[in-house]
Amino acid sequence: MSTLDRTWWHKQWRHLRLWRRFFAQAVVRETHFRAHFLTTLLVGLVQLGLGIVPTLLLFGFTAELHGWSRAEVIALVGVFQIVTGLMATFVAPNLNRMTTYLTEGELDGVLLRPVSSQFYLTLRWINVAELTNVASGVAVLVIGLVQADLSPGAGQIVQAVVLVGTGLVLLTAVWSAMSFLAFWLQSVNPIGFVFLNLMEAGRYPLVFFPVAVRTFLTFAFPVAFATTFPVRALAGDLGWGTVGVGVGLAVVAMLLVRLLWRRGLLTYSSASS
Amino acid sequence: MNALVRNLRVVRRMTAADIAQQSVYRGAWIIFMLANICMPIISLLIWRTALASGAQLPVDERYITTYFVLLGVVTMATSSWMAGFLAQDIRLGKLSSWMIRPASLLAGFVANNLSEKFLKLFALVPMIGIVWWIFRDSMNIPAGPGRWALFAISILLGAMLVFTIDILIASLAFWMDDVSALVQARVIIASVLSGSVVPLALMPEWSRGFVDHQPFRYTVSFPVEIVAGQLTGPELLAGLGFQLGYVVVFAAITRLVWSAGIRAYSAVGA
Repeated sequence: MSTLDRTWWHKQWRHLRLWRRFFAQAVVRETHFRAHFLTTLLVGLVQLGLGIVPTLLLFGFTAELHGWSRAEVIALVGVFQIVTGLMATFVAPNLNRMTTYLTEGELDGVLLRPVSSQFYLTLRWINVAELTNVASGVAVLVIGLVQADLSPGAGQIVQAVVLVGTGLVLLTAVWSAMSFLAFWLQSVNPIGFVFLNLMEAGRYPLVFFPVAVRTFLTFAFPVAFATTFPVRALAGDLGWGTVGVGVGLAVVAMLLVRLLWRRGLLTYSSASS
Repeated sequence: MNALVRNLRVVRRMTAADIAQQSVYRGAWIIFMLANICMPIISLLIWRTALASGAQLPVDERYITTYFVLLGVVTMATSSWMAGFLAQDIRLGKLSSWMIRPASLLAGFVANNLSEKFLKLFALVPMIGIVWWIFRDSMNIPAGPGRWALFAISILLGAMLVFTIDILIASLAFWMDDVSALVQARVIIASVLSGSVVPLALMPEWSRGFVDHQPFRYTVSFPVEIVAGQLTGPELLAGLGFQLGYVVVFAAITRLVWSAGIRAYSAVGA
């Protein structure tokens, strides 16, 4: 541990303060690019609208599918929009740069800084405009919940929020792990596409998939924790057990990614030397 | 005629060179194609679930399965991604260096399109083969080579149509500073209207007249429909006629806009 911090807690606190600065800077930066803000908003709304098309068509042919009504699936699309919006805001701008960091040797500059390099690489850049998609996601979620006649209590809302949080951590861990393969593969830009395309499975409830795929989407590519489980929690048919499993998995995933990062760093031999 | 032959020769040589160059990134192509088949597989699983639990769809399980298994191949084979690059060449004046060469300005883009598709095909065919094998019991396989030949022709026409539309959007860069929003709009709108998100056969009744006749249907959905099989003989002929018609119409419009743009073009130093 560096001499900068007296204890482990001081170190976390310092990183948190740093992240607040990153966010403040990103907000200031965004005010310089108002057209970018507007196009992100418009594109996000169009994508949200078209993304709901398959769901609406599906429920034009059936009133209910595996216990899910149309309104509940719309609520799920809202949660999906919130999660993808948060990923696009806080994670995507960083992991999309992974190849550049390694092939251009920018990682050298990061390693010299008195911060955790993994923290810096995963959370340095923030795309504030994408938060508009989180807002529209909340709107869709509320519409879905009202249509489904659901009024979740405080406990259920806490469950849902914790589950979305664990889902975000798990998905970030998976994407990070995929990106850190850059240490061995050099170029990982296409891997980002695979991740984003697999994410699309989160638009639908887990039970819409065959059993084998459900296992994959719960434990290997844990998008279920980010969308299906939160909505089920809001509907009130999920115990604290699932929440516990989610938190446990998130901790394990973070430790594994940390380990992978350490291993990867050992193989890094700078781009210039 | 002489010019055409020369251009074709140039395209062939440039394609071969591009293939040699791009095959360095063969690992990346495999991963790209993996991403490409994710969405069709997700949609396939969802719609099969809907059918299995009694949803009344206007098409059967065989149609849905064949449709989504073949979808990945067709979207790849008819895709075009040049608009952004061509627009950039126009804006930054890089087009000038192409204008003094003894071949069409577009030869480079055609070669890039063909070479990448050639390599993607190698990555994609085994993956589609595996998915096909998994769902082999509910695949529609047309008897005889006739339908497959029409499928190939229709893919070719679809690819020409998408490529032409792409040039049309890029040529607006002769007058506009930034066409990236237009490019994005084309991608988003086409993804729904071409049938690459949901089969057009599942679109609601009131939209039929529009959905069946708009140009994007002929970029992806129509070729797949030929094999997935619901089209009668006359419908097939009419569809091919429409497809050819759209290629000709868009080619004419694009040619007009492009040549007007070339006249308006003034790069730094030109």
